[in-house]
Amino acid sequence: MDNFSALLEGFTTVLHPVYLLWALFGVFIGTAVGVLPGIGPAMAIALLLPLTYTLEPTAAIIAFAGIYYGGMYGGSTTSILLNTPGESASIVTAIEGNKMARAGRGAAALATAAIGSFVAGTIATVALTFLAPVIADVAVQLGDPDYFALMVVAFITVGALIGSSVPRGLASLALGLFLGLVGTDTLTGQQRFTFGVPNLADGIDVVVVAVGLFAVGEALYVGSRMRHGPIKVIPIEKGWRSWMKPDDWRRSWKPWLRGAAIGFPVGTIPAGGADVATFLSYATEKRLAGKERRKQFGKGAIEGVAGPEAANNAASAGVLVPLLTLGLPTTATAAIIVVAFQSYGIQPGPQLMLNESALVWALIASLYIGNLMLVVLNLPLVGMWVKVLRIPRHYLYAGILMFGALGSYALHFSPIDVLLLVLIGAAGFFMRRYGYPVAPLVVGMILGPMAEDRLRRSLAISQGDLSYLVASPFAASAYVAIIVLVAVGIWLKRRERAQA
Amino acid sequence: MRPDDAAPLAPTAPGEPTAEAGPPPSDSLEPGAAQPPRRRWGELVLALATTALGVYVLVAAGSITVPSSTNTLGPRAFPYLVGGLLAVVGVVLVLLVLSGRGGEEEGGEDVDPTVRTDWLTVVLLVVALVVHVFLINIIGWPFAAAVLFAAAAMILGARPWWRAALTGLVLGLIVQLIFGGLLGLSLPPGPLLEGVPFLHG
Repeated sequence: MDNFSALLEGFTTVLHPVYLLWALFGVFIGTAVGVLPGIGPAMAIALLLPLTYTLEPTAAIIAFAGIYYGGMYGGSTTSILLNTPGESASIVTAIEGNKMARAGRGAAALATAAIGSFVAGTIATVALTFLAPVIADVAVQLGDPDYFALMVVAFITVGALIGSSVPRGLASLALGLFLGLVGTDTLTGQQRFTFGVPNLADGIDVVVVAVGLFAVGEALYVGSRMRHGPIKVIPIEKGWRSWMKPDDWRRSWKPWLRGAAIGFPVGTIPAGGADVATFLSYATEKRLAGKERRKQFGKGAIEGVAGPEAANNAASAGVLVPLLTLGLPTTATAAIIVVAFQSYGIQPGPQLMLNESALVWALIASLYIGNLMLVVLNLPLVGMWVKVLRIPRHYLYAGILMFGALGSYALHFSPIDVLLLVLIGAAGFFMRRYGYPVAPLVVGMILGPMAEDRLRRSLAISQGDLSYLVASPFAASAYVAIIVLVAVGIWLKRRERAQA
Repeated sequence: MRPDDAAPLAPTAPGEPTAEAGPPPSDSLEPGAAQPPRRRWGELVLALATTALGVYVLVAAGSITVPSSTNTLGPRAFPYLVGGLLAVVGVVLVLLVLSGRGGEEEGGEDVDPTVRTDWLTVVLLVVALVVHVFLINIIGWPFAAAVLFAAAAMILGARPWWRAALTGLVLGLIVQLIFGGLLGLSLPPGPLLEGVPFLHG
């Protein structure tokens, strides 16, 4: 395996001016949507999926990778600078970062977040570079029951462990599984749940569901109870000298490295993605801080920004490991990236590194470049992002609706898709209003058909013997892992509540 | 603070989600607490709809044709599983709502937790989207998009109206130019712009 030369090959692809421009476009859009409240990377990629209808795969995947990374950077700017009472405090960075900004140290908070994200993001990308080929080698040898077990793991973690209510997460997951059933059964050619509508024979398009839930649902929900009045942004001091003082560097570098060490592994296992990682990092920094420093936590401790922000970025790189090697999306954003691959007829999975190795290595190379672009974009241009943060909300959500309608109309240029979008958007509104998480629905819809396929193939081989599903050591350990994950999940939730 | 709340969070399998990790019953729900009966109804309807969908899936799964060639697991098995999960979770949710343990509504930077739901805005936004759909084939995409943008912005509080309309028109034309003209997406430019070559896919 000559991965190093493959990576160099990837770099030569990405350094091509056209791809550099797409990468820049991606990180730029990504940062913007990260900065804007209400839009996350999942929604941004869902809204930009029309790009895949005309763009070649490499350019589109590089742009999406940029959006994915950029979204992680931009979010910290919002939580540090936006003076929204109450709500954003649920994110750990916001606790310390917002306090720092109020104390006139906003520039230092932004700098430690951006530089920390760069350091941890780069470390995690290096780890991804080394780990992905190894796991892909193992993954090629896995059988159908093993994959089914992995998908059950993903269902349980995404459906039950993320979010505050287990039944609501599972209801959302089941709804997604149902939407995945609509259409023609791949193995027997029978129509299922198509209600006799010819348009549904090909199934419901994931793009419509994703855009409907993330874009339209969010716009309707925010519209129903919008925060009116001026947008309060905390002013920050100008000039690069105020970014970080020597003492800030001294206090930041260890949390950065620890954040990377915590974030990457947490991201690779399906355990809830970046949120869990940021929380763990925050708790670690608080514990490791000396007596004097610990008193600053909750009042603006720079360690509480540096660590979680680094962990956040490292976790996002970690999420790409199961995505690229097993085809297993563990977050909503990863699920949308799967859709982007699928729209090119590429199925993420163990074969990806073999069949599409040029594309995968270009993607990984673009992560290095994207990280570098992001730190450059973020620090000197912070004034511009503050302006983005001030975009009037009525224009912002009107624009989201417009691009959402465009995305589903452009699928088949048929108004029916847009009407379906409105319907799913309304469903997304009610789910948000009554506390049903939407991410499990998207993951269930994308993974459901794959899981059914694996299950039926497994049982066809074993001629109906269910014990075949747990016969392989890998599958058996996956089911054991579920039990462990559930236990760890309970423990983490308990701690989270205890801290909050 | 309240470690006991997390304790029942132990789902062992998707099939038996009997354990509930409902949010702390009342005090963390101040915004909703002001209007408990109303919230309860909507939530109950959603939970009942989940149950009903589950029952429907279970019943309808029985009428999926199973080809004679199918040896083990046919096209009905997975739908039965999904329908069962929906029905069971739906019943659990109905019971939860009835016992007063409602969901924790989603927060967000732009969401004001202290105001009541403005249903009119939601309905008007949906109407704007539907109108947009039917306008595409009549006046072309850029203008239909402009109508959608301007209408949505004004419903959400944009004033004065002409600035919203102008922004929508400019945005619609720019998107038509980029996606239609440059990227080759065949968005219909509409009768008014039919003759403009660089707007076509």
